[in-house]
Parts: sequence; structure tokens; C-alpha cells
Amino acid sequence: MSERRPYVRRQSRLWWASRTYRGYTLRELSGVGVAVYGAVLLAGLDSVRRGPDAYAAFVGWLSTPVAIVLHLVLLAAMLLHGLTWFQTLPKTMPRLIVGGQAVPQKTITNAAIGLAMLCSLALVIGALS
Amino acid sequence: MTRPPKRTIAPIFWLLFGAGGMLSALFGTGLVIVTGFLLPASPPSYQAAAAILHNPLAGLVALATIPLFFWHGAERLFLTLKDMRAGPRPLLALISYGAAAVGTLVTILLIFLMEFGS
Repeated sequence: MSERRPYVRRQSRLWWASRTYRGYTLRELSGVGVAVYGAVLLAGLDSVRRGPDAYAAFVGWLSTPVAIVLHLVLLAAMLLHGLTWFQTLPKTMPRLIVGGQAVPQKTITNAAIGLAMLCSLALVIGALS
Repeated sequence: MTRPPKRTIAPIFWLLFGAGGMLSALFGTGLVIVTGFLLPASPPSYQAAAAILHNPLAGLVALATIPLFFWHGAERLFLTLKDMRAGPRPLLALISYGAAAVGTLVTILLIFLMEFGS
């Protein structure tokens, strides 16, 4: 019989809801928001496939308060996802050496966020024109 | 003697997670603004929407984007539920990866029907 009785720190079942872990939980949920938005895209695509009536119904649904609130939440999720994704990026890639100096993590994050803003802006401008 | 590390299929899920995460981080915000706010504000005619989506290139873009978004969310959901100790690991994997797999199959089927259907 083993004498070993390791100390296991108690952890609340709702640890992820506590203030300490709020950032973690929101970040992970933002990724789930990405998948939910994928389902919205798929529904829109399928409405076009099914014909003019289904398309009109989908566009009509987009103007309902439920859809607008959903898209505001999804927009917030996308922004949080993008921000945290590019904060993680320099930690997951090899160190970038330019001119014998390691590029600071913050510089990589800012450059990637700038690129993301350009990509999203290009989509919006393309849709408006 | 050192044994070679046990092989797992986890890298496949990580690859899909990373691809979907990068795609949504770059374009997600713009996409939500376009389809969630600009489109209902001034909806294109059905003919215009159908013409865009019946283009095979648009089909390919949708075929890449939508399933990758599903797999990104699935990986996040699986790891978070695991950390929350929400249930036995195989069940959590079945729920999250299973939903992404079903979503992927439905996406492939619908896009196939749209591009090649009557």
C-alpha cells in the first residue's frame, strides 16, 4: 500500500467563471462565436441555393432584432478573437531576427493586427463598391 | 532505450484550428460587418447574389472558409469543456469534433448542389 498522499488543491467547478479566468473563458468562447458565424454563412448560402423566396426570407431575418443582436455579439467575438489571436502569434512562431536583433513580440502583434484591419477593410470596401 | 513518442491525430485538429483561427482573425470582422450589417441595409437582388455564389471561385472560398470556422470553434469548445471538466473526454470530443464533421459534410453537399445542381 502506497503511503503517498499528494496534496490536491481544491478547485471550484465554476473556476472558469471567476474573475481571474474571465479573460480565458471569453477568449475561448470567441472561438465558438467563429463557428456560430460559420453556420450563419452556411444558412445564407443555402438560402441562395433554394431560390428567391428563401433568399428574401434570409435577408428579412437579418433585419430582425434577434439577428442584429446576434451579429453585434459575433462582431465583438471576432474583434476579441483577432486581438487575442495576434497576441498569441509571436509566442507560437520562431523568433524573428531582423538585422541581428529579435523583433519585439509587440511589434509582430501590431503588424499582424494592421494586416487584419487591411483585410477586413478590403472586404467592406469591396462590398460597398 | 528511448521509445518513439506515441503518435496521435491531435496535430490534424490543431492544423484545422490554426487555419480557421488565422482566416477568421484576418477577415472575420469584415465578413460580419458585410453580411450582418451592410447586406440587410441594402440587400443585393437575388440574381446578383446567385451570380456571385454560382461562380466556382466563390464556391471554393466558401468551401474553405465555412468548415475551417467550424473546426476552429470545435477545437476551442473541446479544450474548454475539457478544462471545465464538463464530462468524459471521448464524449466531449464526439460533441465538438462531431458537430464540426457534420457541419463540414453539410457544407460540402450544399456547395456541390449549388455549383452543379439544376
